[in-house]
Amino acid sequence: MSPNPRAICSTSYQVLVNFGKRHVKDVMDVHTILEDPLGRIGACGLRMLRADVLCSLHSPMVAKGSLGSQDMWRELVPVLLDGAFWEQGRQAQFQTQPEDSPLLRPDSPCQALRPAGTGVLGEGVRAAQPLTGQPLTGQPLTGQPLTGQPSPAEPPRRLSSWEWPGRAAGGGFRRKPRSERGSARRCSRGLRLPRSARAPLAGVTAFPPCRYLLCASGDFVKVYSVNTEETLRLMGGHADLVTGIQLNPHNHMQLYSSSLDGTIKLWDFMDGIPIKTFTVGSKLLALQIFFLWSDTFQLVSVKLTKGAGQDLESKELSVVLDGVGASVKHIAFGREGAYVVSVKDVTLQVYFFKRKLLNRFSLSTVKTKGGDNCFSCVVCHPTEDCIATGHADGKIRLWRNFHHRKEYTYSTLHWHHDIVMDLAFSVEGTRLLSGGVESVLVQWHNESSCQKDFLPRLGSPIEYISMSSDGALCCTLHTDNRITIINSNLRFSRSIQGLIKSRDVKTGLVVDPRTKALVLNGEPGHLQFYSLQSDQQLFSLDIVQRQYIHQAGLKQSDLVKVAFSAQGTWLATVEESEEVTDPELQLKLWFYSEETQSFTLNTRINTPHDNHITDMCFRDMDELGDDSLILVTTGRDCVFKVWVMVEDTDPEAHESVSWSCDFVGSYHNYQATNCCFSEDGSLLAVSFEETVTVWDSLTWDLKCTFCHPPGNIRNICFGRLTCSKYLIGATDYGFLCCWNLLTCALEWSAHLNIVVLQPDPLSEHIAAVSWLSKESSLFVFKPNEPRPLYIQRNLCKEKILLAAFVPRDEPETISSEKYLWLRKSQLFFLTDTQELMTLSTKSLEERLTPSSKQLAVEESLPVTPFSLLLGKHRHQQAQEDTDLGKPVVHNKQEQASPAVKELLHTPAHVLPSASFLCTIFINSLLISKENKSAEEVADEVEMESEKAGGDSDEEDVTVMEQEDTSPMELLGEMTCKLSKSQEKELRKIRKMDYSWIAAF
Amino acid sequence: MGEFEVHRVRFFGLVPAGVRCLACHPRGARLALARTDGTVEVYNFAANYFQEKVIPGHEARSVESLCWAAGERLFGAGLGGDITEFDLCGLSAARGVDGGGGPIWSMVASGTGTQLAIGCEDGSVKIFQVVPGGGIQFERNLDRRKGRVLCLSWHRSGTYIVAGSIDFFRVIDVASGQTVQRIMVNHQVEKAKPECVVWAIALLSSGTVVSADSFGRVQFWDWEQGTLAESHTVSTSAALSLAVSEKEDSIVVGTSTGATYQLQLLPVKLGGLEKCWVRTKPFQFHSHDVRAVAHSSTALISGGLDAQLVIRPLMEKVQKKGYDAVLRKFTFPHRRLVSCARKARLLLFQFSQYLELWRLGSTEETGKDGEVLPPCRMPEHLVQLKSKGPEHIYCSCVSPCGTWVGYSTASRFQLYRVHCDGDGVSLRKVPKVPKLLPPAYQLQFSADSESLFVASARGSVHVFQLLEPGGCKHLHTLQPPSGCSEAVYLLAPSADGHWLAAVSGDWAIHIYNLKCFQHHCVVPAYSCAVSALAIHPSTNNLVIAYSDQQLFEFSIPEKQYTSWSRAVQSRGLHRTWLERDSPITHITFNPKNPAHILLHDTYLLCILDKSLPLPDDSTLLMNQSTLKQLPETARKRQLHAFKICKKFQPLLFMDLLDENCLVVVERPIMDFKTQLPLAVQQKKFGT
Repeated sequence: MSPNPRAICSTSYQVLVNFGKRHVKDVMDVHTILEDPLGRIGACGLRMLRADVLCSLHSPMVAKGSLGSQDMWRELVPVLLDGAFWEQGRQAQFQTQPEDSPLLRPDSPCQALRPAGTGVLGEGVRAAQPLTGQPLTGQPLTGQPLTGQPSPAEPPRRLSSWEWPGRAAGGGFRRKPRSERGSARRCSRGLRLPRSARAPLAGVTAFPPCRYLLCASGDFVKVYSVNTEETLRLMGGHADLVTGIQLNPHNHMQLYSSSLDGTIKLWDFMDGIPIKTFTVGSKLLALQIFFLWSDTFQLVSVKLTKGAGQDLESKELSVVLDGVGASVKHIAFGREGAYVVSVKDVTLQVYFFKRKLLNRFSLSTVKTKGGDNCFSCVVCHPTEDCIATGHADGKIRLWRNFHHRKEYTYSTLHWHHDIVMDLAFSVEGTRLLSGGVESVLVQWHNESSCQKDFLPRLGSPIEYISMSSDGALCCTLHTDNRITIINSNLRFSRSIQGLIKSRDVKTGLVVDPRTKALVLNGEPGHLQFYSLQSDQQLFSLDIVQRQYIHQAGLKQSDLVKVAFSAQGTWLATVEESEEVTDPELQLKLWFYSEETQSFTLNTRINTPHDNHITDMCFRDMDELGDDSLILVTTGRDCVFKVWVMVEDTDPEAHESVSWSCDFVGSYHNYQATNCCFSEDGSLLAVSFEETVTVWDSLTWDLKCTFCHPPGNIRNICFGRLTCSKYLIGATDYGFLCCWNLLTCALEWSAHLNIVVLQPDPLSEHIAAVSWLSKESSLFVFKPNEPRPLYIQRNLCKEKILLAAFVPRDEPETISSEKYLWLRKSQLFFLTDTQELMTLSTKSLEERLTPSSKQLAVEESLPVTPFSLLLGKHRHQQAQEDTDLGKPVVHNKQEQASPAVKELLHTPAHVLPSASFLCTIFINSLLISKENKSAEEVADEVEMESEKAGGDSDEEDVTVMEQEDTSPMELLGEMTCKLSKSQEKELRKIRKMDYSWIAAF
Repeated sequence: MGEFEVHRVRFFGLVPAGVRCLACHPRGARLALARTDGTVEVYNFAANYFQEKVIPGHEARSVESLCWAAGERLFGAGLGGDITEFDLCGLSAARGVDGGGGPIWSMVASGTGTQLAIGCEDGSVKIFQVVPGGGIQFERNLDRRKGRVLCLSWHRSGTYIVAGSIDFFRVIDVASGQTVQRIMVNHQVEKAKPECVVWAIALLSSGTVVSADSFGRVQFWDWEQGTLAESHTVSTSAALSLAVSEKEDSIVVGTSTGATYQLQLLPVKLGGLEKCWVRTKPFQFHSHDVRAVAHSSTALISGGLDAQLVIRPLMEKVQKKGYDAVLRKFTFPHRRLVSCARKARLLLFQFSQYLELWRLGSTEETGKDGEVLPPCRMPEHLVQLKSKGPEHIYCSCVSPCGTWVGYSTASRFQLYRVHCDGDGVSLRKVPKVPKLLPPAYQLQFSADSESLFVASARGSVHVFQLLEPGGCKHLHTLQPPSGCSEAVYLLAPSADGHWLAAVSGDWAIHIYNLKCFQHHCVVPAYSCAVSALAIHPSTNNLVIAYSDQQLFEFSIPEKQYTSWSRAVQSRGLHRTWLERDSPITHITFNPKNPAHILLHDTYLLCILDKSLPLPDDSTLLMNQSTLKQLPETARKRQLHAFKICKKFQPLLFMDLLDENCLVVVERPIMDFKTQLPLAVQQKKFGT
């Protein structure tokens, strides 16, 4: 990964930082920590909530004279030690190990396979025998050549996910998280970066406003473009959840991130390169496991060691505060990092770093008039010594004078009727924003006036609020995983939304045949169409069409079932109210209207069944006309109903067709649970509790029944293509059965607790996900073979509830035979935490399309005299091109001035002398006849710069000294065009910003 | 502790007048308060905010503004156009000086206390000189502008006066008398609102002018530039009053919604020099307009039209937790407005301008504890006696036999003979009552109703002999041998007619022997105001309750404190008892059980059993309910001297009619709240 050369002027960018949040579930069994042979796990207990760099402690201003320039490098980063012991399993590792970590790298494919094999055998045998106590019917899944020999001597590897067969074989197999915004349940943790970020320097505000939104998301840090809402960059490298991100106060182009894996990383987020990794976890931390057992959290400060290498260990920890709240919202840093505030329950703690003074203020615990004084969040005023706290009863208190134990005082603002979820001060501190479950963003003007503004109808409760560093934008993060960007005048600007987190995904994962989008529950009563390619919501279809009221105890109607017809022209939805006994059911059929490019309601059927509808499917027949379209619903009222389209005879009717019930079938008064059409549509399989019935879809005769007691049928599906003679069923008591429809006999069965059974529409493959002893495993098989094609043990620790095959636009070329089943479609999973996951052979970086990367580069050109000049130059060139009648090649522009670009992207101090560059620069401004020569020149420059970078790495001090002169030489007469403040600014940034060199 | 049949009287229709203005003594020892009916009260901070002095009002005298000047002198000015000095020793208003500018809306004393400035209806600001010997003298007029001057504030240095009017305020140079700045305050407000009344103003020593106006804003102005520095909208309705602390770092604002707010001058950055005003604590103690606020060094004081005086201590200024750290509300006066004729079962209620005589009802039923007995005869309003003239009543009393009623106003003392003939009651004025000047501050009939004791100025007590069928003779005037300048405000005759205890404003208790009309002794001085005292009928021990909640028992024959009293002092009273916030207003005894002392204040009724051990701080003071649940043997161990009943609230009067019959007079707050004018309507969330 070769880092882009940095632009000299790019440091003057503005960055809006936000953070996404991740609820941390984790962490680990402490026993495992101690046993782990790799010895790096102790760090996992560390939870860094906020990587605030206490710049003032070591900033040159404070540490005048007494500290050398080296000391400026030492930055204190307080982190939070997590004392909670989380029961749930560790998060799946989504990210591959950094290349330079030899410890975890599997040495050979063989070794890597072994632990996986162990898992398979262990589970298969253990699960099968105690349950049945007899030989399995059909061929067991164990004992296949795929699995290796058990090696019980080896301790269970916690990090077994490093050692997946795929990775060992091809090195390219990775699991790609789709979960960023999909896992909204975990939204409760994150870092609020802009809070203690410094106000922008005066010279910077003149530049174009914030463009980037940074968001911690899963194990990644995402960079969004504020203008296009696009994901520009995905920075991966952490081995566990990113718990906090924070802009480097010395250099707003750099970002600190902390993770559950016990490391703090420093990133150059423009280029997406990790500059440094500080390993905080250590043996020292292992001693603090004592703290982990209790329920207390500690705020500790970490001294970031200065060193040349990329991986550094920072083990100097000092506890700042004990017993702090568990959330980042409970901690805030005061003006210029002079103090830190933490709240917990009804206690507010303020710790002054310089005076080493700890003040504690308690509110009364008595709930007067229904008020609940518990703190919910805290922020500090950016310029004044004022602390704002939100409370569970909706009050906001503004604390002042808190350096006095007695004479502290606070004033109260009260609008929210329920808990204040988050607060944020504007950059100047004149406004305070607050949000809560009311889904209203409240803006409090300076506290002297009672004036407040509201931005209502934000859709869902506000979880986090963040301000951009120049104050022009603010963004709110909602419980349903949406980021809303709001103008400073409190106007809704745009929203970034991927997968909306709904309260409960009842509809299952359905693929829209038209757009290939995933369709599932979105906002309450809405169906969301989620584009997998762009990670964006395509649109949201209001199905229930009723106002949703956020209030506990109200019975609301929600969408429970969705089915698409094969071409996607028809959509059937079922909604029911939350009442358990007598649900109000509605079946709606929607027709896709080409004119409006949207679904319009065709038929509404009230109470299609007398009880809950359990399943619904269309007869998928591509080749046949509309007449063949049949909808089958199964209900707990022990019947299945067949719905067909009928021509509407009423001439006044709006629609030409409508749907009506054609056939009602039942079987021994059993509840109908599942239904499925065969591929050619001739057969319908309906499961009635323990029995599967097969019906002829023309005559509606019961053809045959299958039964594999004990246990109710959980899932059924027909085989496809060559395997269409098979019917697959999974039962409650852990059997996967395959019946042959021709012989009407059980072909094979396996003992597996299958929760999800998903056939690939484009191939014979069927994916089955089993859930056993707190881990999900994936099996892919063809019905005609009892042996699975692919087994992935320990897919994730969470229960996978739903899965879907999404057809690929074009089949992917897959080298490994094992993954051939992934060729035509991609498999997606949704876990019970509403994380969307997929299996992919592509690497992470490929997810971002080249165009968006290009966009990032384009955007990274600052508006400086340089860029103006460059723009003019380009513009002229383009014009000349058109004048000459040449076909304008897009690449032409890119190649036109590589020298200038290199010049801009390379830090001044690593550039060769100006006299050397001068000719190149001048040449680049000339209209080049041959593109090739320019490229060559560019290469040369790069080589030079690399060399220079290497040198400077060893001699930091000299570089610093040179700095002052080199830009002058480089810029030459250009400098005069920079205003004085800009120049000053540039110099300042240049002085600070050379730590990225370490990345070379 | 014995059961009583209780006459629970709720027909005393007292409506206290609203608080109009407050004036805190510059040295913080006293608080003067004027009510809307012209009554002026003085509260003593040192004596636990005891309502030390009351000067009853006068129909023609309204007090819009009070100020302390020239040390301890209290001046008031009102819409009558007069400036009045109040004689705090003689408890009377001196003759007023005409301000000469129509109704006076505001008055302020200069920092030195030698000058008074008044703001008049005609827009003039006049300066009066406080003459050291007594009285005031017109000095000069300052620049007169149109518009009534509603509020004034004098710069500490005495060079400038700021005067608030409608829509504007102006700054006047005292030396030249010229207006040097005139600032409009309604410039930001849309035209729809008619006018912006500057209700209160303060000129800080830094030159900042703080104004509170009818739009609910508190604004800080730089008067030299004429610019608005800060504006705090504290209320949607008017901000009516404003007071600045001595250090000028805290301001209290009263609004017409009944809320008071504190604004504090706080450093923007900790340890930094830059400071800003921040609205901090809101308090909602009043239901009506807060017309007056004051800022003492340790407390915020507010008085509202709901007649409440609220003293809210600033916790950060209070050094230790204790009496000073308690929020206190005073609604009712700390003196007796009810007198009871025990034998005749009559109650006399004193209102500001009339008296009401009621006969108590009776019942023949008996019942258990807590039962309500149906009366067989309803209480009866016998007669209403209106006082003549514009003056309000100072005091009143009915004799124990119920045949004599006396009252006194500022200028006249009246004695009436009550004739009951069947159902009809008639009052006949006793002729030839000796003229009393100055008037009576307290009236007390002897137990046998044969003599009347009249507390008078200069520590003197007049003794009248009542003659049948309707006459009165001055017998003697008792005076402390050493002389005294202050008026007597409490009297306690002994049941056997032998002794009389009198308390004057200097808190000295003199005991006189009535047989020989001689001064008997002085109770050793105690540095607090006496709130109630009574002489035990059988032992002739004088029981004294001080406003700091201490109790003493003084044996008159032996001229020394009793051993029980010494025991109480050495042991100390229960902390909860000492932290109560209203003083004991009446003491009486149960003749059947000489060890019992019955006391009451506004919130509790207590029977003090001297035979039982005193409680210590670890035990529960109010243990009646817990005792009930205990078995007999355990109860014995838990018993202590204080039997407290909080059933009757607020309790204005309690007396023992006979051995097992009590009368209590309550005035439920809600009853008199309904008689107040409507408060500002406010939307309440969730309704």
